[in-house]
Amino acid sequence: MMHLNLLHRPSPGPNYPLYRRQQELAHGVGLKVTIFLHYQDLFDPAAVRDALRDREEFGDEIALAFHSPRGPGLSVPNGMIWLLSDAKKREVMQIILSKFREVFGRGPASVGSYHLDASCLRILKELAPEVEAVVGGCFEEGVRVFHGCNHSWYLFNEGMPWNPWYPSKTHALRPAASEEDAGGVVAVPHLLRDMSLAYEGRNDFWASHPPNVIRGMGNDASFCPYDLNLIDQFRMQEEWNGGYSYYNSFVSVPWLTWNHNSEYPPEVAWELYTKFLDYLRSLKAQGQVEDMTLSEYARWHKKNRPIGTSEVYLAKEMLYGSGKHYFWYIDAGRRVLIDPTQGGSIGDLRPYAGRLALSTGPDTPNRENGSYPFLIQSQHRTGNSHHSSDGARTTLLLSHGGEVIDLAKIRTKVAGIERQSGKTIMTLTPAEFAFSDGLKGSVVTRYHFIQDGAIGIERTLAGLSDPTAELTLTEYFKAAYGRTEYPEDLHGIRLGIDGADAREVDYDYSGDRHESSGATCVTAAVPQIKTRVELVAENGRATSGACQVGHLFSPYFTLSLNYSVKNEERIVTWMTLSNLSS
Amino acid sequence: MDDSVQFKQLMRCPVCFSRDIDVLMIYAGNSAHYCPKCSFQGQESEIRGMYRDIQKKFHWMTKRLTLEEQRRM
Repeated sequence: MMHLNLLHRPSPGPNYPLYRRQQELAHGVGLKVTIFLHYQDLFDPAAVRDALRDREEFGDEIALAFHSPRGPGLSVPNGMIWLLSDAKKREVMQIILSKFREVFGRGPASVGSYHLDASCLRILKELAPEVEAVVGGCFEEGVRVFHGCNHSWYLFNEGMPWNPWYPSKTHALRPAASEEDAGGVVAVPHLLRDMSLAYEGRNDFWASHPPNVIRGMGNDASFCPYDLNLIDQFRMQEEWNGGYSYYNSFVSVPWLTWNHNSEYPPEVAWELYTKFLDYLRSLKAQGQVEDMTLSEYARWHKKNRPIGTSEVYLAKEMLYGSGKHYFWYIDAGRRVLIDPTQGGSIGDLRPYAGRLALSTGPDTPNRENGSYPFLIQSQHRTGNSHHSSDGARTTLLLSHGGEVIDLAKIRTKVAGIERQSGKTIMTLTPAEFAFSDGLKGSVVTRYHFIQDGAIGIERTLAGLSDPTAELTLTEYFKAAYGRTEYPEDLHGIRLGIDGADAREVDYDYSGDRHESSGATCVTAAVPQIKTRVELVAENGRATSGACQVGHLFSPYFTLSLNYSVKNEERIVTWMTLSNLSS
Repeated sequence: MDDSVQFKQLMRCPVCFSRDIDVLMIYAGNSAHYCPKCSFQGQESEIRGMYRDIQKKFHWMTKRLTLEEQRRM
């Protein structure tokens, strides 16, 4: 069953009739709406009257928007509540919440924003403990949208869950690990994003928002099957998430009139939005979709999706027609993206286990950037080598006869996903390889995600054309912490290796590589994000390893473990992310 | 005054857009537009043709992929 939240917000002046048309369209297809009233709407008798009537007649919810916090007695120059100081956040929220209570006699159950950082959430719950749900962040909105909007859109929200989550008290984009860690609300993302293309490029083109797709030029006038394909791809996830899927749409009025993101007349946006809602109507009629208000959804979520529930998403690219797969996994300890097109490399790794505390605002060192830091982000930080050195990524290197094959250059797909209690196993199709001397074979990769625990990377060598051959397999992990594409200061990172030449080294940009025979464990402590990463060979199976400090033209650290492997043999490397202080 | 009317003649620069950057072109009269970020300038008909070129990379843009079809992909 897909759970649907349809979200609208009024627009003042000449656009108000368009908002009413939007409401009539939704109600006409039998969908209930959560209406987000802005502060200025609370002074508009028509907006209040119409919202009350819609609540009465159609079961809509009247919620509060923190977008555009301006109106009588209130002016916020940057217009973004999470970018204010702690004191100013409190002052603005007090004014807005007070007006909402004056108009409706009680506080809102749902609040919306593009982003609500940890301090916003803390203040909101202090001032309005009745709030149950928030629209709390924009999945993977950050560097690419900043570029795409000609470096003018300062919303940095990367590294968050794609589906609803319980925001942590200390970093609102991190899913809470426990009741004690949770900030007291259910958060939903501002739109659901294409889980292939929001990783590869701009999240604001490919989303549950038909005019966004117009912006991306993914439509042929009023023909845009992609809008419906994306709904179905989210429905497909029910297979691996206990029958659960979630969708929402939050199209504001300016997208449905002439605007700077479309070369089409408004009729095209209206027609696509109408088709989109009509498809959701038909799914509802078939019992495949249940529409809810946002606070209804929050209550359902609390009852049915306990804190700490892990989720997966199998993305299948469907606009370019590449057929690429991406596999996403999330739990309270990490968010991981596996890129099967690069042989199963990790393309994105967010180490939630570090529990980094972060708020935004001019009174914080983070200023505008609310993203949860990565250890690996192969789009921002090079990934596979194709120009100069490689960057943040993982891979398996196969060595034979002085030749090295990088598994990241072999395309695979997701062959299977198994969800068991506390464990998820994802298997890739075999990666077929051939050395120049004619030796051929394949590697089958399986990832074992232990809930809130380690990640097992299993490799099985099979089908060697020379059954007596023995290959060296190198499990390779290259990383650097960050929140953008630009390097951060890596001083303070400490690498470690065991074995005959066991040692620990400080990150000094020397480029030095430290090898150790008999090594079965390599580590990196990254104090900037309070994270320790460790690779351990199962059963001490590795024969040697290395850790390498980067340099200023390749600012990363590299950990690796080597194995000697024969045909039909299997190796497992366990990757653990943990809080550095624990 | 409806602010949206200012966008009726809007064109985004097709050269910048091909780099995933939205840049609003400036209307120069006689159906011509120029980009303030890069050196491209052109007629509306040429710009719209370039938009179609940009869309050529979306091989499945007009393909409906049902749930069952996606499961098989």
